[in-house]
Amino acid sequence: MDTNWQERLEALLETVSRPARYVGGEVNQADKEWKPGMTRFCFAFPDTYEVAMSHLGMKVIYDAVNRAEGLVCERVMMPWTDMLEGMKREGIPLFSLETRTPLSAFDAVGFTLQYEMSYTNVLAMLDAGGIAVESRDRGRDAPVVIAGGPCAFNPEPLADFVDAFLMGDGETATLEMLRVIGDGRRRGLDREDILLALAQIEGVYVPRFYTPEYHGDGRLAAFSPVRAGVPARVRKRIEPDLDLAAYPETIPLPFTEAVHDRIVLEIMRGCTRGCRFCQAGMLYRPVRERSPEKLFALAEKLVASTGYEEMSLSSLSTGDYSRLPALIRGLDERFSSRRVALSLPSLRVDGELKQTLEMSSQVKKSGLTLAPEAGTQRLRDVINKGVTEEDVLRSVTEAFESGWSGVKLYFMIGLPTETDEDLLGIAELAKKVVGRYYALPREKRPRGLKVVVSASTFVPKPFTPFQWAPQDGLPEIKRKQALLRQALNIRGVEFNWHEPELSVLEACFARGDRRLGRALLAAWRSGCVLDGWSEQFDNRKWLDAFEAAGLTPAFYAQRERPEDEQLPWDFADIGVTRAYLRLEFRRALEGQTTPDCRDGCEGCGLRRFEGICPE
Amino acid sequence: MKMLTVFEKTGPARFIGHLDLQRAMQRALRRSGLPVRYSQGFNPHLLLSFASPLSVGTEGLREIMEVPLAEDVPEASFLAQLNAALPQGLKASLARALPDDAPAAMARLHAARYAIRPMTSADTLLAAAPAFLAQETIPFLRKTKSGERMDDLRPLILALRAEDGALYATLSCHERGTAKPEQLVAALAAFSGLPAPRCRVTREGLLDRDMRPLEGL
Repeated sequence: MDTNWQERLEALLETVSRPARYVGGEVNQADKEWKPGMTRFCFAFPDTYEVAMSHLGMKVIYDAVNRAEGLVCERVMMPWTDMLEGMKREGIPLFSLETRTPLSAFDAVGFTLQYEMSYTNVLAMLDAGGIAVESRDRGRDAPVVIAGGPCAFNPEPLADFVDAFLMGDGETATLEMLRVIGDGRRRGLDREDILLALAQIEGVYVPRFYTPEYHGDGRLAAFSPVRAGVPARVRKRIEPDLDLAAYPETIPLPFTEAVHDRIVLEIMRGCTRGCRFCQAGMLYRPVRERSPEKLFALAEKLVASTGYEEMSLSSLSTGDYSRLPALIRGLDERFSSRRVALSLPSLRVDGELKQTLEMSSQVKKSGLTLAPEAGTQRLRDVINKGVTEEDVLRSVTEAFESGWSGVKLYFMIGLPTETDEDLLGIAELAKKVVGRYYALPREKRPRGLKVVVSASTFVPKPFTPFQWAPQDGLPEIKRKQALLRQALNIRGVEFNWHEPELSVLEACFARGDRRLGRALLAAWRSGCVLDGWSEQFDNRKWLDAFEAAGLTPAFYAQRERPEDEQLPWDFADIGVTRAYLRLEFRRALEGQTTPDCRDGCEGCGLRRFEGICPE
Repeated sequence: MKMLTVFEKTGPARFIGHLDLQRAMQRALRRSGLPVRYSQGFNPHLLLSFASPLSVGTEGLREIMEVPLAEDVPEASFLAQLNAALPQGLKASLARALPDDAPAAMARLHAARYAIRPMTSADTLLAAAPAFLAQETIPFLRKTKSGERMDDLRPLILALRAEDGALYATLSCHERGTAKPEQLVAALAAFSGLPAPRCRVTREGLLDRDMRPLEGL
């Protein structure tokens, strides 16, 4: 083996942008020593260091694995293109931050899949790490490549590259997987047998044990296990009690500023609101809260071990946390004298909470951000977003009255049933927000009004009521963006939109099947990496890659799936049933809303999982 | 009081940029439990001040920061507590308690000593150092925020010698004139008609107007 690459690496680090991303050694890095007999795992984040170090999940798994006896966890992230090219040129393998070990020397390498457009980064990292990119080319000594995270719920586009996927909560399941992998390798088992053992773990999907069949037109015809002893349906993993689930008491401090550089407390998992476009809201049911007592204890340890000056709360819907006033008050009492600011998202603030916020000196109000998602009540009913125009206007008025002049409003364009009237409704709402500002007496309103309207393009996601719905075609998306640009040419309003070509590709991979693996491979080979960064994105190469694979983006993105079509992700059981999602889709098209399930069970299917759903 | 602190920035820490270094030091001080002083106002922050920022990739052996304290702390305990909180590559070697009104290190800084080690053999280049230094003026193109302009490097080179395959330079480092090691190497290469080699640079110390270590007072 070439051992001189470390010296060449030192020289390369002198020439690349932000080399601090590749050296490790941060405060609180876990330096657990690997000894023979232990299982060595590398947590791989398929995006840059700055993004990775903002990600809570990585810190949770990193800590949980390193606390476990017999397991070691190190980290690796996607190098920026200058580093990636330099490593290739100099013959330097992609290595872990902690010990500069090439990925190929680990027992297991595990990717978190947060975003469809990071998939080619997975391929690039495997290749750079000296691991065969395709699962079938890996020999006995190659690490077992695993993956989890929200995108692992439709794993098929990556089925050719990842040996085993975990669906659902990873705190306990990751440890189980690593023990099986480590034991199997120490006992000299065949790769196939290790994977078969992995498939016995609840939540684990091993793609090579399942085969899809297709109709002539490309639709999925059948999908079934081809090996005895693997489950026909894979049921997601659930951590039933967040107070018992692993949570880090210390986290590595990035050497170079991360996108989110602060302590994050996950206060709750899951959401009961049932917005019909929201994948996380369905995937992470049931709602589970971490107790304030547990959160106080964690916060104490994290503040002491990091020195962070800011803390934020994480969940899908922080305003729904049942003991929010007590939590905020408690955190404020404990940490304001230590100058740790509490950064809160936009909440519906009334009663007890309002008093708490007014009392506290260290709560950092980071401007108002609201997500009405659609411009008219009709369309908000279609997507079951329980926000009214009056809610929005009341919130912005309060914000203006308390001295903020900046308001952010998030919308989606291309939602099912959307008409131009709905789009123009976005501009109408923005105008009313501006109107509320000017309605205040001149001396009472803060200076410098700035209403930022962001409109992303709707991407239909698996396991949502809109999983059957088509995405608008590219010309239609562009027409709608232009319409909005014109309508939002209002003084005090700034309009942001997303690159439409990128949204189309997201839609392809979000609801893609296994055949897309060929397109991914071709795209990566033609140089598509880090596509989430607009300066890197090259749509032409992607279109060529689809063509090379004999596929068309429109088949995946723009086609309405008939009710009886088998979907590539149907084999996964997330708790919420397909029948319920279909019912919700029908209600959506009828403009009928569904109440929050805390006010009464709506029968989403989760109760089939015994003892899991509290209501 | 304030604590003048001498620290090294070596190994992986040499890749930390100046803003990130400030953040790393602030967080280390917060973890250390030392009674650091905060600014007043809506967003109180630690009042750290560094004598001179160091370029990314450059090692520093005797870098200097000043830490205002809310109460008196013995120098030895300050050093021990801070070091316990610092990451690999950042290490404090000296702490000197000063009154708050002592002149700031940044204001006393006059020059910096560098060791510049070419990463590829550069004997011819190094041999040209004496003749290079004997020039009366050394014009070079200075890149500024507003563009480029010609400047004279010669008065900014306070000392220069080549020894054991490395350049040792003392370069002016104050608000009226600062030269960087890369500028020196580029000018020397241009003078010798050679390509500029890539170098490992170490800032060995910071000096006051009398060419004494800044921390000596």
